Amino acid sequence: MTLIIDLLQQMSVFVVIAYLFTKSPAFRPLTSEVLPFRQKFLLYLIFSSFSILGTYFGLPVKGAIANTRAIGPVLAGIIGGPGLGLATGLTGGLHRYTLGGFTALSCGISTTLEGLVGGLVYQHLTRRNLADKRFSPAVVLATTFAAETLQMTVILLLSRPWQDAFALVRTIALPMMLTNSVGAALFISIIRDQKSVRDRVGVISSAKALKIAEKTLDLLSQGFNRETATRIAEVIYRETGVGAVAISNADELLAFTGLGADHHLPGSPVQSPLCKTAMREKRVVFADGHQRKFICTVSEDCPLGSALIVPLMCDDEVVGTIKLYEPKQKLFLNINRALGKGLAHLFSNQLLRSRFQSQKDLLLQSELRLAQAQVNPHFLFNALNTIRAIVTRDAEEARSLLLHLSTFLRKNLKRTGDLASLAEEVAHVQSYLKIEEARFADRLQVSFDIDPALEPLQIPVFTLQPLVENAVKHGIANLLEGGHIAISAREREDFVEIVIEDNAASYCEQEQQNGLGIDLVDKRIRNIYGPSYGVRLSCLPEQWTRARIKLPKPGGPKP
Amino acid sequence: MIRALLVDDERNAREELATLLEATGEFELLASCPNALEALRSIRKFHPQVLFLDIDMPVIDGFTLLSMIDSELMPHVVFVTAHDDYALQSFEEKTLDYLLKPVAPERLAKTVTKLKELLEKNTVPRHQPPELQRIPCLKGHRIKLVATEDIDHVHSSASGIHLHTDNGSFFTELTLKVLSRSPLLLQCHKQYLVNLEKIDEISLLEGGFGEILTRAGARIPISRRYLRQLKQVLGL
Repeated sequence: MTLIIDLLQQMSVFVVIAYLFTKSPAFRPLTSEVLPFRQKFLLYLIFSSFSILGTYFGLPVKGAIANTRAIGPVLAGIIGGPGLGLATGLTGGLHRYTLGGFTALSCGISTTLEGLVGGLVYQHLTRRNLADKRFSPAVVLATTFAAETLQMTVILLLSRPWQDAFALVRTIALPMMLTNSVGAALFISIIRDQKSVRDRVGVISSAKALKIAEKTLDLLSQGFNRETATRIAEVIYRETGVGAVAISNADELLAFTGLGADHHLPGSPVQSPLCKTAMREKRVVFADGHQRKFICTVSEDCPLGSALIVPLMCDDEVVGTIKLYEPKQKLFLNINRALGKGLAHLFSNQLLRSRFQSQKDLLLQSELRLAQAQVNPHFLFNALNTIRAIVTRDAEEARSLLLHLSTFLRKNLKRTGDLASLAEEVAHVQSYLKIEEARFADRLQVSFDIDPALEPLQIPVFTLQPLVENAVKHGIANLLEGGHIAISAREREDFVEIVIEDNAASYCEQEQQNGLGIDLVDKRIRNIYGPSYGVRLSCLPEQWTRARIKLPKPGGPKP
Repeated sequence: MIRALLVDDERNAREELATLLEATGEFELLASCPNALEALRSIRKFHPQVLFLDIDMPVIDGFTLLSMIDSELMPHVVFVTAHDDYALQSFEEKTLDYLLKPVAPERLAKTVTKLKELLEKNTVPRHQPPELQRIPCLKGHRIKLVATEDIDHVHSSASGIHLHTDNGSFFTELTLKVLSRSPLLLQCHKQYLVNLEKIDEISLLEGGFGEILTRAGARIPISRRYLRQLKQVLGL
């Protein structure tokens, strides 16, 4: 009984050491399944010294030593695998062997075997994807118990004289099996607790990261400028609680929030050497405040001492930086360091996306401008030829056509805004159709049916004209006679519908060819009002072709 | 006087060009046609020396029209167009000239000079019209274009030329001779063309005759005169 209490005392010393040890950062990566060699070596040293200390602290009993040597090798095996267990066990065992006594050999061998037992449990669990079970105190308890049982067996088998060995085992077996098992289990439960604390911190920090991301990405999509940068910096500052947050573009500081805001002024050029290094070498620069200090280039009184500078990349080009600072006396938290890097990565992606989007928009705009500015030369020269023919026969008609032509051309040239009223659009199309009616003479008739209430409706300029031109070019121009174009605008239940219908029905066959104009109009409406609006073509062969423009009702989505 | 035909789908454009041609005093205007089909009829009827041809026309454009004219009736061609997108192409077609609308009388005078030279030398028009790919057929007041690859066979009867396809038969004004310019359609009898791709079976009969079973299930005769040619093409 005294032996149990003594051993328990000894074990408590270990548990305290273990507790202190798990608090240190060296212990952190220990919970992963595959450990880097350096880490393994460190563990080997630690657990070997545990094992050796266990022997030293042991109590001499009948020419042998009752001890807690087993805890080290078994844990080394369970945590680091058979290799580490064996190495630790061998070290502990060799040490015991050198101390002599009639159990020297058997204890040396059994300690090595105990390390192996831990390692086998490791293998068994990781192969079944139960690696987390390694940190279960119950598993460790059972493993150590089994290992100690093995040790007693080995002593009985190898130690001579047998009577002495048997007497020894009778005395020490139970106390050692119990204390070693309980000690190992306690040890592992301490590690496990540390781990779960860290996991919880991880959850909190990723929740924080998500919150920041959610708040800032939307801001960033509105552009990367002083205003958005200031608001983003404020969000990061508030959520992370760091000393200060700065955002710069490639040349100057865009925003600065927190300590030192009095002398880090937006608009000032980027000048700190750390920042320049980060931008030049396109990498994260970290000054922890101890080995590498952040030194403010603006003011000597600057309270900031450590800094994390992450470049913002867009297409492999540095477009700016995000900087997190802590004041001189405060530690720069690893969580914030990881967070800073993650955010910069996220922002870089978002910047790339916005750039892509804006280029796409720009392309669409310029395509459209180009399409608008181009008066179809066929139309123009045919119109002039028509007027030339008519002028000798009907001077009045020719004069009127010249007016329509100049109205059409003027409107085409003048349109600079993005929106026009439906009435204006219809007038534009009317002057176009007047000329085409004269050109095709009896082959074309046009009818309009526009709800007067819709006339003030604002629609994107050049919405009607390309569609009407298509109806003429690919529709009526292909009919030998009897062409008809009907243009109507009506309010439907929850949208406005403008329909341009011709009776040639020849687009169905030519969808590829007439794509450009309609496609652009459609894309632009979707771009402005969203994907539930736009242009749809339908066709009943030899009966009609219909282009339906779907627009929001007045008071619906605004561009 | 040069015997001329004018083709343009726009009435005003026809009037304008007619006025210009008349003003030169060099032309006898045989007809003014609003579309390609009427132009084909007028060409057969009047045998014009020169064709003033609009390019942009409904259903059958100016280029396609050229592919439908019997080669012995082929007149000299002057393209008249509103825009010179086609300039290069018409040059390649070896047309005589092309005019841009609105046509200036001075420019037309140059065309007349060129045309007269050619006619004095008795030069035969050398057009290489594009391959005939779609054949215009009348269907009510519309023109239906039948792709050559859809034709099973062509039959010429007293009532005219009929294209037989899987979707029914169509009447066309093109001649067997023009149709047989298509590499797909081969003459096998005085009154029949067959689509090479649609031949299912050929039976040879005694006396140098034969019979073709087409994919559509029609039996069409092979006459002695065309049998050898057919065998050659099929590599028999």
